[in-house]
Amino acid sequence: MPGWFLGYDIVLHLLFALVTLIVSIFAFRIYRLSAQRQPKFFATAFLFISMAYLVNAIMHFFIISKLNENVCSAFKLASVAVLELIGAYFYIVLFSIGLVTLTYMTLRVRSVKVYCLLLITVLISFLFTAEPLQLYHLLSSLLLVYIIIHYLINFLSKKKINALLMLAAFAILLLGNFHFIFSITGGEEYYVIAHFFDLIAYLLILLNLILVQRHEQKTRSTSNRA
Amino acid sequence: MNKKRDRLQIVHDILKAVQDKNGRIKPTHILYKSNLSHQMLDEYLGELLSKGFLIENSTKTGKTYSITQKGFEYLQKYRTIVDFIESFGLSEPEERRI
Repeated sequence: MPGWFLGYDIVLHLLFALVTLIVSIFAFRIYRLSAQRQPKFFATAFLFISMAYLVNAIMHFFIISKLNENVCSAFKLASVAVLELIGAYFYIVLFSIGLVTLTYMTLRVRSVKVYCLLLITVLISFLFTAEPLQLYHLLSSLLLVYIIIHYLINFLSKKKINALLMLAAFAILLLGNFHFIFSITGGEEYYVIAHFFDLIAYLLILLNLILVQRHEQKTRSTSNRA
Repeated sequence: MNKKRDRLQIVHDILKAVQDKNGRIKPTHILYKSNLSHQMLDEYLGELLSKGFLIENSTKTGKTYSITQKGFEYLQKYRTIVDFIESFGLSEPEERRI
């Protein structure tokens, strides 16, 4: 990550955490009203993703605070490295649970065994790699491909703007994920570009939610007038 | 040609039928109003009872069903539920249980 971006990424992660939390709350509300399984999984997935961004933002904030302390010692640098490692693992685990839950939802199967298999396979793989961040981005790209296929089929059958927004959002998240992979192996600028893609993706998801809300308000005002 | 009804629509039709009969209705009337097979209706009623959308009442003349507060809320917010589920690609195939 470029040094100048430290701080901006905290703001962005807080924003992503807020957007995903709002979507999660709304999905839980729909689940409470309808008792359907799909909104429950969707809400749970977005809650985990929200927690992942929140944990990441908090950890980065602590790292900045440590680096700004007026003491330069080996202990300080070691504690920063430990914080970074803990933050990265929490982020990876929480985000992976979110993506696995979302992928399981798109598979439309009803089996706890399938869900556990997916989750355990993904989580256990992080214990046996020297490069957990690289593996995480590879696995999340694979899961995002499955999610994109689901939204592509949904768009082709519905042909609605909302379905297109979701398809675009997850495709852009995948694009962002590729840039995160490039940022590990290549230039730092890819890390910034990846965040830019993520920002667009979450704004599209938020826009979708706003469109649903606006439609609800319009329906309410029409029925009140009638 | 009529589009196949999805689960949300079927649940809506059942609850609406119960609501229209002042909250109390016999299974045969629901069968007629909801346009489902006997087996499908049994499945839906079982699920709606277990999820608290309907209450079963036993009378001398047989079973009747009445709608709960949760059922009323479903009918009130039906449009929002459908909008959200369609917009976020969360619809379930018809043959699956709710």
